[in-house]
Amino acid sequence: MKPQPIIKDSYKYGFHKPESAVFKTPKGINREIVEAISYHKNEPDWMREFRLKSLAIFEAKTMPTWGADLSGINFADMYYYVSPTDRKVRSWNEVPKDIKDTYDRIGIPQAEQRFLAGVGAQYDSEVIYHNLKKQWEDQGVIFTDTDTALKKYPEIMKEYFGTVIPPEDNKFAALNSAVWSGGSFVYVPKGVQVTIPLQAYFRINAANMGQFERTLIIAEEGSFVHYVEGCTAPIYTTDSLHAAVVEIVVKKGARVRYTTIQNWSDNVYNLVTKRMFVEEEGVGEWIDGNIGSKVTMKYPSVYLKGKGAKGEVLSLAFAGKGQYQDAGGKAFHLAPYTTSTITSKSVSVAGGRTSYRGMVFVNRGSKGSKSFVRCDALLLDDLSRSDTYPTNTVNEEDVTLGHEASVSKIGEAQLFYLMSRGLSEAQASSLIVNGFIEPIVKEIPLEYAVELNRLIELSMEGSVG
Amino acid sequence: MKNVIIKENETLVLPILWTGEESEISYEVLLSGQGASVAILGLLLGKDDAALQIKINVTHAAKNTKSEVILKGALTDAAKVNFEGLVKINHGATGTNAWLAAHLLLLSDKSKGRAIPSLEILENDIKAGHATTVGRINDIEMFYLMSRGLSREQAKQFVVQGFLASILEKFPREFQQKAKKNVRLS
Repeated sequence: MKPQPIIKDSYKYGFHKPESAVFKTPKGINREIVEAISYHKNEPDWMREFRLKSLAIFEAKTMPTWGADLSGINFADMYYYVSPTDRKVRSWNEVPKDIKDTYDRIGIPQAEQRFLAGVGAQYDSEVIYHNLKKQWEDQGVIFTDTDTALKKYPEIMKEYFGTVIPPEDNKFAALNSAVWSGGSFVYVPKGVQVTIPLQAYFRINAANMGQFERTLIIAEEGSFVHYVEGCTAPIYTTDSLHAAVVEIVVKKGARVRYTTIQNWSDNVYNLVTKRMFVEEEGVGEWIDGNIGSKVTMKYPSVYLKGKGAKGEVLSLAFAGKGQYQDAGGKAFHLAPYTTSTITSKSVSVAGGRTSYRGMVFVNRGSKGSKSFVRCDALLLDDLSRSDTYPTNTVNEEDVTLGHEASVSKIGEAQLFYLMSRGLSEAQASSLIVNGFIEPIVKEIPLEYAVELNRLIELSMEGSVG
Repeated sequence: MKNVIIKENETLVLPILWTGEESEISYEVLLSGQGASVAILGLLLGKDDAALQIKINVTHAAKNTKSEVILKGALTDAAKVNFEGLVKINHGATGTNAWLAAHLLLLSDKSKGRAIPSLEILENDIKAGHATTVGRINDIEMFYLMSRGLSREQAKQFVVQGFLASILEKFPREFQQKAKKNVRLS
């Protein structure tokens, strides 16, 4: 088979609305700007202190020396805080019209009406729209933006904020801790099962605008929640930075599933720290799909802290022209009888690069623990690249750990079969790619799965047969 | 660091037997000519507080090259093995076939194993894979052997020998004798 030039189609959601920001800090980051953000948000002293402490850590930390090239990020040439509207609204009718138009194009209202319990939509840095179905509210479920949570639930915030991912963790977690804005806060009381996924859409709209949302999810004993986060961003020529922090606490016997479909436009640096603490008999699951962005570095991790805790990471990466997806997952076995599974599927086309970077660590004393890592990579042409960097550390005898990886191209026999049935080469290729990622797609809520399949088809269009 | 360059249509089998003497083993292999092939077979036996850093880098720089890196280790007492492997397939090295595997058997609660088998692939017309397992002795195998009247120690011997047999068979003959003696001792 000769090489297939597969051209990634222009970005589907690459439109943007005129900015209508109300309050905007000047470009760059320093003590005054961090204080101005905190002052504008009218935050308590401890949060201001936390931000300033994090700023010092950010300034002291060096950039990561591994992974993608981040030299294109200019911290001084970025806006760190923009608030698009001063009003917070609860009903859809009150949402400003141009913002509503934007959401219309990505289909939020339909999604909400169909089967979502609540929608927190983030426009620039603030969550402007919130609607949580009454039945969950009555059970004590809290689903709000993190800024509101800081005002309304200061005790919970103070107890958990920055405990799962401290600012010392890495440079971008420190940056987020200093300038964070927006994000979701979810609290599920003991024994409550939130059976319909909670959903939030994020967008970057102001040019050169870094988005630093901060999400905190607490699932009390025996509870269950599924949180869905999706990102689409308009195209801009200057590079944008998205450095989010997601902290999740899964208490005894609880289960949290966190689904992300990241589809930032091809100029965004997406550097996100995501971590779950899973206590006794708890279950933590990450489903992480990376389709867009220029550079993504993201390794959702599970810290299995209690006996019998379970963690699962499903990672999907798709890299087209000029894209580098450095994704993966981490599992830390810190207690006996803990189990983890990491499954990674990656597709590289048109010179794109995907890397699986993973870590499994089994602490001494974590008897009876089991871990299995499986990574599969599909390389569609000879311009693209695929890497696997798995680290497996075992300090305990009574452990079962397995890791498997394979790298392949589209099989000629598969292609021949489909084409003999009348499909074009592009159709056949996209069918094979969709089949390859199917094990992960089937875990994603329906409307995302549909969008994902469409995106893959779109990316495969223009391939010459 | 030992540098090895393998030229067109050359085949090299590189057996490694570690019984605790060296603390570092490191190979840099370049498959520079078409049809070059390498097999690196490592048998690692660690006891007491023996610790090994083993690093194996293989670069496929030509078409139709083949590499096979297989490590099998059995660690008792407080022995430690840290394996870092990297197989790189350059752009243009079509028809390449690469396999990278590390299997560590931990026989005591103080033994430690770390394995980082990495792949960097810049060509799509290739076959590449890797596998790692780290774990303890299989209870079912132990139970079977002990139910036939073997002591725990004897059964353990058998299971370890069985685990290592697959790599021993691939060793060159003169090396096999030496290796087998060591396996029995462990």
